[in-house]
Amino acid sequence: MKRILFTLALLLCIAPARAQQPAEMGNDLPAAVAEEQITVSSDYRGSFVTVFGVNPDRRGRGDIVVVVRGPTETASVMRKRRVFGLWVNGEAVHFSEAPTFFAVLSNRPLRQIASPESIWRYQLDPAAAAQLSSAVPEGGDPSAYRAALVRLRREQGLYQEYSGRAQADQRGGLTQYQGGLFRAVVRLPANAPIAQYHADTYLFRDGRLISSQRLPISIARVGIERRIHDLATNWSMLYGILTVLLALAAGWVAANLFRRT
Amino acid sequence: MIYLPIAEMPVNVLLVLLVSGAVGFMSGLVGVGGGFIMTPALMFLGVPAPVAVATGASQIAATSFSGVLSQTRRKAVDWRMGMLLSIGGILGSASGVWLFERLLRLGQLDLIISILYLFLLAAVGWLMLNEGLSVMRGRTGHSVSILRRPARTIAHTLPFRMRFPRSGLYISVIPPLALGFGIGALAAIMGIGGGFILIPAMIYLLRMPTNVVIGTSLFQVLIVASLIVIMQAQATQTVDLVLAGLLMLGGVIGAQLGSRLGAGLKSEHLRALLGALLLAASLKFLLDIIIPPAEPYVLGGWL
Repeated sequence: MKRILFTLALLLCIAPARAQQPAEMGNDLPAAVAEEQITVSSDYRGSFVTVFGVNPDRRGRGDIVVVVRGPTETASVMRKRRVFGLWVNGEAVHFSEAPTFFAVLSNRPLRQIASPESIWRYQLDPAAAAQLSSAVPEGGDPSAYRAALVRLRREQGLYQEYSGRAQADQRGGLTQYQGGLFRAVVRLPANAPIAQYHADTYLFRDGRLISSQRLPISIARVGIERRIHDLATNWSMLYGILTVLLALAAGWVAANLFRRT
Repeated sequence: MIYLPIAEMPVNVLLVLLVSGAVGFMSGLVGVGGGFIMTPALMFLGVPAPVAVATGASQIAATSFSGVLSQTRRKAVDWRMGMLLSIGGILGSASGVWLFERLLRLGQLDLIISILYLFLLAAVGWLMLNEGLSVMRGRTGHSVSILRRPARTIAHTLPFRMRFPRSGLYISVIPPLALGFGIGALAAIMGIGGGFILIPAMIYLLRMPTNVVIGTSLFQVLIVASLIVIMQAQATQTVDLVLAGLLMLGGVIGAQLGSRLGAGLKSEHLRALLGALLLAASLKFLLDIIIPPAEPYVLGGWL
């Protein structure tokens, strides 16, 4: 909490100086993340990402959009089809550059803040980033596949959208305070990939982008979790043998316990 | 809660211990390996199917090793036959892991696993239920069926015959190799040991004496399961060491309790009960692929 207050104080000092510059110049938006480094150990159950910032406009005009993005990766979506009375997965449709995690937070509904063109241009929507990179099966609708990707990832908590302050039943939200201060909080679920993330903050006024800021957030395994994962990826043969040895040891212990009884 | 480094998800430690303990308990009680219950149980807990299958193999290796150790003390292992079955098993599991990886990339792995489990659980459940019920009705079905085994099988007519002094057999090497191959492939794809298929086949097809059947099949299962763990770790990187440790711990304790309790209980009732349970589980697998899905789209994951 102390750190958060410190960050806030720092931002408040910077804010007036920045506000004197013409906002149209697209200068960096003063913002910071509370946790630049999120560690994953054996008790990891997800975490929160908090982004602070100040609207440099003295009169508080403009809208704030905060996007927390995970790395992009090719994603595939399949539509189930009926074959001999069984529902089997149909041909996969691939989307390149689909974000593995995507949370967008804004002070009011995104469509009131930015035009559809801006939403696509700055990729403020998870669907905007995902590029269709393979053929769609005959009779299939590409946009239905894209919508399914977003819907399924949203159900997994990997895609999140919030407008306004956090409600009791929500896991994130954007709150504005006096003096142009804002704070965006989003819950990073435990199934979100462990990778390098970015928090992007945008200031829009009258539908146009005024300024933005990109901040890195790194999520990394530490301790035993890191060692196991490194071993499994870089020394997979050794890792397999180690697992078997563990199994043999467990079996040996069990056999000897049985003998005693 | 503990975070699984490979499955990339947190699981409840107590829940996993409870499930693996219950599976171990049942296997100790009834005398089956339990891999075919453990893997679907893990999937039910939300562990991705590839991780469940690959990690389940390590637990099978642990259980079968403890079995082999105690069977060796009773000199109940036909090493020559075991080696032959293992050679077939190694080739079979290698092609099984290859197929596993192909299916994973094609996005059809979950379906194939579901269908195989559907048939497997239905068949085993039906057999167990029948056996349990017929014993309860007072018929000695088990011993009669062993006496009725055929005197000569295909194993005696095929070429490349070999002597197996421990089993007192002089049979072709082709059936044991083929049998080992099939079990190995199934084990790699489904995360099962395969003892419950291997044992009847050894009795009826190879005509092995019953006293060496269990030890020898355990030996084959041990070799194949260990190899599958190493191969899956390399090919698909789906072996989760933390989950494996939990499964072994729960399975070992459960099996201990189960076999102690099983000595004083009527196993036919349990067999019938377990059989009914497996039939119900297979029905669930069937409904999942027959009922029109509420969500027609699925995400392809893993690789």
